[in-house]
Amino acid sequence: MSGMTKEDRIYMSDLNTGVFSIDELENVQITIGSIVGAIEQQMEEEKDVGPNSKPGIAGLRNWDFKLFDRYEPVYTPMCDQCCYCTFGPCDLSNNKKGACGINMEGHNAREFMLRVITGAAAHAGHGRHLLHHLIGIYGKDHALNVGPSNIIAPNTQTVTGIIPETLGDMEGVLDYVEEQLTQLLATVHAGQEGAAIDYESKAMHGGMIDHVGMEVSDIIQISCLDFPKADPEAPLADIGMGCIDSTKPVLLVIGHNVAAITNIIDYMEEHDLADKIELAGLCCTAIDMTRYKMEGGGTPKAKIVGSLAKELKMIRSGAPDVIVVDEQCIRGDVLEEAQKLMMPVIATNDKLMYGLPDRSDDSVDTILEDLTSGREPGAVIFDFDKVGELAPRLAQEMSVIRKEKGIKALPTEEEFKELTSRCVHCLACELACPMNLPISDAMTAAEGGNIEPFEILHDKCIACGRCEQACPKDIEVVNVIEKAAQKIIREEKGKMRAGRGQISDPEIREEGVNLVMGTTPGIVAMVGCSNYPDGTKDLYRIADEMLRRNFIVVMSGCSAMDLGMYKDEYGETLYEKYPAKFLKGNLINVGSCVSNSHITATTIKVAAIFAQRDITGNYDEIADYVLNRVGAVGVAWGAYSQKASSIGTGCNRLGIPVILGPHGSKYRRALIAKPYDTDKWNAYDARNGQTIDLPPAPEFLLITAETVEEMMPMLAKNCIRPSDNNMGRMIKLTHYIELSQKYLGVMPDDWHVFVRGETDLPLAKRVELLKILEAEHGWEIDWKRKKIISGPSKQDISAQPTNIKRLCKEA
Amino acid sequence: MAEEFPFEISPMFEGERIRKNDMYVELSGPKSIGYELVRAKPMDEVEDGKFTLIGPDLSEMEEGSRYPLAMIYKIAGELVEEDLESIVERRNHDFQNYLQGLMHLNQRYDVWVRVSKDAIDKGLTSFEPVAKAIMMLFKNELPFIEKVEAIYVTDQAEIKKEMDNVKQIYRDRDDRTRNLHDEDVDTFYGCSLCQSFAPSNVCVITPDRISLCGAINWFDGRAAAKVDPEGPQFPIPKGDVIDEESGEYTGVNDIAKSLSNGEYDRIKLHSFFESPHTSCGCFEVVGFYIPEVDGIGWVDRDFTGTAPNGLPFSTMAGQTGGGKQVVGFLGVGINYFRSPKFIQSDGGWSRVVWMPKHLKDRVMDDIPDDVADKIATEDDAADLDSLKEFLDKKEHPIVERWEDEEEELEAEETSTQTTPAAAPTMMQMPVTATGAMPMMPISGNSGGVKVILKNAKITIDKVIVSKKNE
Repeated sequence: MSGMTKEDRIYMSDLNTGVFSIDELENVQITIGSIVGAIEQQMEEEKDVGPNSKPGIAGLRNWDFKLFDRYEPVYTPMCDQCCYCTFGPCDLSNNKKGACGINMEGHNAREFMLRVITGAAAHAGHGRHLLHHLIGIYGKDHALNVGPSNIIAPNTQTVTGIIPETLGDMEGVLDYVEEQLTQLLATVHAGQEGAAIDYESKAMHGGMIDHVGMEVSDIIQISCLDFPKADPEAPLADIGMGCIDSTKPVLLVIGHNVAAITNIIDYMEEHDLADKIELAGLCCTAIDMTRYKMEGGGTPKAKIVGSLAKELKMIRSGAPDVIVVDEQCIRGDVLEEAQKLMMPVIATNDKLMYGLPDRSDDSVDTILEDLTSGREPGAVIFDFDKVGELAPRLAQEMSVIRKEKGIKALPTEEEFKELTSRCVHCLACELACPMNLPISDAMTAAEGGNIEPFEILHDKCIACGRCEQACPKDIEVVNVIEKAAQKIIREEKGKMRAGRGQISDPEIREEGVNLVMGTTPGIVAMVGCSNYPDGTKDLYRIADEMLRRNFIVVMSGCSAMDLGMYKDEYGETLYEKYPAKFLKGNLINVGSCVSNSHITATTIKVAAIFAQRDITGNYDEIADYVLNRVGAVGVAWGAYSQKASSIGTGCNRLGIPVILGPHGSKYRRALIAKPYDTDKWNAYDARNGQTIDLPPAPEFLLITAETVEEMMPMLAKNCIRPSDNNMGRMIKLTHYIELSQKYLGVMPDDWHVFVRGETDLPLAKRVELLKILEAEHGWEIDWKRKKIISGPSKQDISAQPTNIKRLCKEA
Repeated sequence: MAEEFPFEISPMFEGERIRKNDMYVELSGPKSIGYELVRAKPMDEVEDGKFTLIGPDLSEMEEGSRYPLAMIYKIAGELVEEDLESIVERRNHDFQNYLQGLMHLNQRYDVWVRVSKDAIDKGLTSFEPVAKAIMMLFKNELPFIEKVEAIYVTDQAEIKKEMDNVKQIYRDRDDRTRNLHDEDVDTFYGCSLCQSFAPSNVCVITPDRISLCGAINWFDGRAAAKVDPEGPQFPIPKGDVIDEESGEYTGVNDIAKSLSNGEYDRIKLHSFFESPHTSCGCFEVVGFYIPEVDGIGWVDRDFTGTAPNGLPFSTMAGQTGGGKQVVGFLGVGINYFRSPKFIQSDGGWSRVVWMPKHLKDRVMDDIPDDVADKIATEDDAADLDSLKEFLDKKEHPIVERWEDEEEELEAEETSTQTTPAAAPTMMQMPVTATGAMPMMPISGNSGGVKVILKNAKITIDKVIVSKKNE
């Protein structure tokens, strides 16, 4: 710093915001010693650029309306009434309007939007809680790090225009998310939107916002908690009730927010308790526990019990000695159930406190005394250092106390016999069961000594417990099922690859060749919860079929866990069988619920990497790119939660179609196009602005499938995109036709509409298909050259399809 | 038609692994001998669809046994020529794997085939349907094959007898490929396959320049263009030579102009700095200019660290792509390092100053001896200072350039006194052919800007104070 004495120096701490003059600096030379992070600085300067940075709730309405013009909302009302205000309840059936003037479509669209923003708020609330927590420990300047990526937060950057670098930058992102959620929630009030279509657009907005909230949540924990960073070699974690060693004290955690749990893990490591206590988790907290401190590999520090469907089963098994809960997807009766079996419950998050006293300011010893003595059934503790110490100590003490007291959980053999013979086969349980499982027949079989039907039910039962309340004979049906399935449960020992976080840029570049050459026919993202129609084996079947066909299969959340529960004939789970890079035929687990944002982020990165699109504040252009070019389909086969609806809707706005399992219709609406309505299947050619024809693909944005068999060909077909080159189209058509023949036993009736020329035809069937085109569709074939002369609809392979006029040259 | 075969044919079986316990018979492979060979023949020497087997058939082989196997295909057609043999031959691997119950590994005289018990159980008793399926697939994909005939040999003596001849054929073929250069042909090929993702990218594929993705060479382009001249791989008439050194041709420029909608009108095939080839996204390696040493560094996808300029692959790769011409960065396929014309307009290998060790090892044989040990790796240079030192010490040819430039720079320096504060420009903005060269961020103690403030009002939006680790 030449020319400046010590006294002249301005210290940063003296600076204040506001305007001040610096005329005393005349003739002062400023030497810039070095500039660190010039790229980031440049990006900083580009903040808030792009045509759509931080869109308000109407900001992307035009894009939504374009989508709805083709993908029309179809409603499946769950009930005919609206009970929102005291003018009601209003009967909306038969085109009646409610007292406020709203009609059935409007109300159902509103209901759907409410589901979406509820889900989005759950993720964003989780993110905000975690952000406060992590800033408290690591400070606002802590740098974000997600692995080798040029774009740290693709969803965030695309939606908000903000290019975050530090924890502190995420505050501004969440400010935006929260403002949008407030505005959206306001529209649920009586007398707001009058048109269903605008609630639909708002639902899309909520879905998009959700992916930003999720992204913030996961990126901050990846950056601070040493999670794997885009690591294809992320370790395998043990999963399944059979893995849990209940001879040790068992500490069970349930929920989605790993904040407090990291303190437990740290305490256990510091006090050499890791081998002495069995730390097990349910739901996404379990996934994130296995990511904690796994950067660079290692052995996961906890075991996974499974998804929400295992929650009641795990508690009823009597194995846990202490239960720690945080937030989301935790049963409302955990405390009640735990109390019956003398398991103290520690609540660590203000979103879920079960009426327990707040003991945050009390000493660990005092709380320990109150809980071990049974004076209190549990405690709310927001001080995570205390939770970290209390939970392991409590588990050790309770393990001894509960053994001494002879706490018994599942029925004995005699009680089991008594319970099954008590059944009067009134079928009330089957009516109450969301899956309508054949409980009555299983009772009969068990009475006769055959427990196999119950063993089968165990995998399909989501353990909601509605059967028990319906039973006029007070049979604890869940306990009966679990007792019968003990042998199977002992064998429930699977593997799940710990969540790897984002897909890195180098991986996307490497995979680019396969995507272009068609050797990767598409990307199937299997997300959502465990409300499967036919048990976890469904997931295995879907994933294995698609992986064999070289699709990239991406997992997250509950689906990621359930997939690890099933093994092949060699005793291997699919995680052990298939490698985990972002490459054809690879199986990836991105992580917990909030990691779903990395799936949408990957499609955004494809646009940034291969087409060099500026993603910053440029949502509709990127969504247009994804819709027309990126062959990705989401499957939420067991979607049950509001979060699943917001995740799916966020995919939809970005141009990614989603298939729901049979329970999906309970979300009240779908987005379905009409393949036969040729007016809807066109776009502009970005080269010249001319209108061009498109194939009817994808043919929906949100739809429900009834069976795995029905869904399989839908997956391949809806990976077809207008911009496919002939190699890509050929391979997609091959799998569409093969899957239809394999699972439905028929040639699909619409394969020919995707054929633009003979090079699009599946190689092994080319001659056969040319014959069909000639005979059944009247196409002209030059048989010597095996060329199609006329017939196919006019789709120019070299056209650059876009649905946004401003993206066209000479438009 | 597929129903004629006692097996299913689908790309889904490509990943099928036949483990030892599931295997009925093993053919060729490391413990036996064999080869695969495609030969172009005159029309009258090929009997279309004919299959000949010399030696025992599948039905005569015992479970768990091992036999040698040679697969010879004779192809004929008006457009068939010798140069296409290797293209067709390579597809034997893909297509045999399409057959359920068949596993094909490696190529040429390293082929290794297994037939599963499952396939035998489903009724496969002979090689004939295998050969017929492959011939059908050859003709479906490459309709310029008008006639094809297959000869399979499982007789050890017969294969041994031919082995030397066959190896000579491979050698001749390789020599022809190696000795074929841009100047020897009058047609290049364009590939627009990746436009499905990178809408404006066009790869120009020449004998000395493989596609960026590494998947398509000049012979592939030639074969595909024969199948469908209007398809994604199309001929580019070379036109007149504008500059042989940098690889500029009128034909290439014409096509560049029309396919980029006029966005750029020149492409120099072997140039790094001036009108370089466009980049898509799946390039294996990105080259980057290091102004501090006036040299070029290369970093590949598998390198997880940072280059001497402090940046990882992902950041630098992010500066180019999307079919844009970005000066200062160049994406290439690894095979381009093997090209004798490798960035020859900028000095070729003598301009290369840094690359990751594993990449350097991979292409070592193609680096000229006089410069090979002068190119630094991460072991030699982790930052710019150590890189400079390394190059200086090893007397890298680039050092001569420094001496020349220093004089020029001195002359300019005096005029920078009143230059407004400029953050070092970074590359984000795509620079077209005529644009200025983007500078790398200045790190270390190079560069520096003098700023004079008089009667200025400074409004600071936000001051970020963060710890520095120095």
